[in-house]
Amino acid sequence: MDEIIVKLAICIERGKTNKTSPYPPDLREQDGADELAKQAIEAGIDANRILGACMQGMQSIGEKFAKNEAFVPELLMSAKAMNAVMVHLKPFFQSGSVQRKGKFIIGTVAGDLHDIGKKLVSMVVEGNGWEVIDLGVDVSTDKYLAAIAQHPNAIVGMSALLTTTMVNMEKSIQAIKAKYPATKVLVGGAPLTQDFANKIHADGYAPDPQAAVKLLNSYVA
Amino acid sequence: MTGKQLVTAAMQRRPVERVPWVPFVGCHGGALINVSARDYLTNRQHIENGIRAAIRSYRPDGIPVAFDLQIEAEILGCNLVWADENPPAVASHPLAEGKSLQDLHIPLPSEGRLPIMLGAAQTIRAEFPDIALYGAVTGPFTLAMHLAGTDLFMHMYEDPEAVQRLIDFCRDVCMAITKYYSDAGCDVIAVVDPLTSQISEEQFRQFVAGPAAEIFRHIKKLKRLGSFFVCGHARHIIQAMAECKPDNVSIDENIPLDYVRDICARQGISFGGNLQLTITLLLGDETDAQRNAMECLQIAGNTGFILAPGCDLPYATPPANLKAVTNLLHNPYQQQVIITLEKQPSAEAVPDMSDYGVADKVIIDIITLDSESCAPCQYMVEAVKQVAPHFEAIVEWHEHKIKHQESIQFMTALMVKNIPTICIDGKITFVSRIPGKQELIQAIQNRINEKLYHKIRIRKGSVFILGRTSEEILKLRPEVDKAIRELGADVPVVEITDNKEIASFGVSRTPAIVTAIYKIRSEAKIPPALLIKEWVKDLL
Repeated sequence: MDEIIVKLAICIERGKTNKTSPYPPDLREQDGADELAKQAIEAGIDANRILGACMQGMQSIGEKFAKNEAFVPELLMSAKAMNAVMVHLKPFFQSGSVQRKGKFIIGTVAGDLHDIGKKLVSMVVEGNGWEVIDLGVDVSTDKYLAAIAQHPNAIVGMSALLTTTMVNMEKSIQAIKAKYPATKVLVGGAPLTQDFANKIHADGYAPDPQAAVKLLNSYVA
Repeated sequence: MTGKQLVTAAMQRRPVERVPWVPFVGCHGGALINVSARDYLTNRQHIENGIRAAIRSYRPDGIPVAFDLQIEAEILGCNLVWADENPPAVASHPLAEGKSLQDLHIPLPSEGRLPIMLGAAQTIRAEFPDIALYGAVTGPFTLAMHLAGTDLFMHMYEDPEAVQRLIDFCRDVCMAITKYYSDAGCDVIAVVDPLTSQISEEQFRQFVAGPAAEIFRHIKKLKRLGSFFVCGHARHIIQAMAECKPDNVSIDENIPLDYVRDICARQGISFGGNLQLTITLLLGDETDAQRNAMECLQIAGNTGFILAPGCDLPYATPPANLKAVTNLLHNPYQQQVIITLEKQPSAEAVPDMSDYGVADKVIIDIITLDSESCAPCQYMVEAVKQVAPHFEAIVEWHEHKIKHQESIQFMTALMVKNIPTICIDGKITFVSRIPGKQELIQAIQNRINEKLYHKIRIRKGSVFILGRTSEEILKLRPEVDKAIRELGADVPVVEITDNKEIASFGVSRTPAIVTAIYKIRSEAKIPPALLIKEWVKDLL
């Protein structure tokens, strides 16, 4: 039983989605995350443990990413493997037998169309047991506000790649804090720094997806 | 040496008289001529005017024609979304939306916005033959990402052969565009491949290194110089990039300059960068820009280095910050100033000078590097020396050489940022400009007048009538009152009959009159001795 869980965590970390996927070459022809998740459910393993294996795998790859030992392609492959597991876990989320840590609303700020950074953060955060509400790119302040109204306890994440759009974060944060003072807002993106995050009164700055996970987990600890 | 000679020499690691400066003016050129990024990057004349404005303002040794990594992608079918203050962004990826590699073609020089860029390159080449002209082409990996979208990252594992075919096609596009820019007269071809920072060194070597090396061989055959640009956290691929044999590797502030310097030195190639785009050039001030530039110069040294921003300059970069970098490069004195100012005194060591210059004399402070070794400083000191005798006993002047720590404290306290500077009574009056004789005399005279006015306004005085008996006092009092009345003055009269007190005035025989003037020099604070000294001088 434990062997399946261990294997599953390895498949997530190494981005092995299913038996037919050629990556990674040394796991060729072996069961991937998809098959292992199915087997685990059939063997009656608690869905929370299956989710735990995902979290462990995503955490390992996320830490490697933060240390420059893994890069975007590897992270995306892990996320893809994790998504294969999530399909099997969906009924358990719906029934409430598996609980997520919380909700995370994320979007790239107004005027900015860059998707990849936000996507990476979404995937790692989701893999860590959070429900992610992805608002997409070019997200207006109103759209953030509407999403918060719909998910009142959610934490908000904002991404920006451009020096000109990072300034839009400040306006969105001001509006959010004015209406929902208790809502936490995290920011990230290539041109940002902790200093800038402090200046615009963000609650946290995450230079990489794993840092976002750490911040989020600290709010629910 | 001309700018072009400087850039060429630096790229070939030959000795240079000064490090060359290449501000990457892309959409920022639009800001310089007051048009949006969109209008700028779609209009040949705007680009030409923007570059002319940049050359006028920043005196560069090299400059790019434009900095737009979407030109090739647009021709190949990517939809662009335009912004007023940014280059356009790619919003759709043809290979992710049903098109196949066979549907794509190598762009012709007549397609898309290429005629605008190539035409501008020709014009600028003819007008500025002494400046190194850069043609920026989209690197093969970044172009592949534009065409295929971010799924390319996963395809690198799932279908590596297809990814290689795509990157090889992008290499061919890159080589074609290189030839167009070369024919238009560009000296340097910048292969800009920022997205390579997102893959591992292993993947870079597997997919990108071969095509990139071929592009740089092609550039050499065209007898042009090749620069490999990357931005972001790309430290892990710098070695592999340098092995592709470009003439130059250009990086942004995410990678330590000394790391790239050492790798490039071992490979016998040059390197460039890495002025901070956002924190310093966009959001900082002139001093920040000069400090950052000086830091780059100190780390990089003089061999094989080109000072440049980390990437395309943000549209709204304040021109003053870039001019400050130009000034620093062209002015070795300013470099020494910045080095000296690095030894910034702590906040506690900076005296409060808010009351400086309220003594009777007018104090002229000349902040210099050292008038013996810095020519402009020498001229400024001489200008003051020449004028000072006109105001003998009224004007006192001092030179503060910022080689000394206390002078730096003094300079910081007066908020002086440039050398040389003249302050009159603590007020910055002439900055980096030697005033003419009459101008300086006038400035001093103005200050004297100001002081006189102030003196009349704030003086408080008293008349003391000293008498050992009330009779003595009574005899004198009417005369004093009469005098005050006739003058219309508001002066209190104090009668003193106590012997000890009379003696404290130094009076031995009565009746006597003593007048006193009081000046409030400071209130509710402890002024430094430096200031008190100035006030005491008035009493001597």
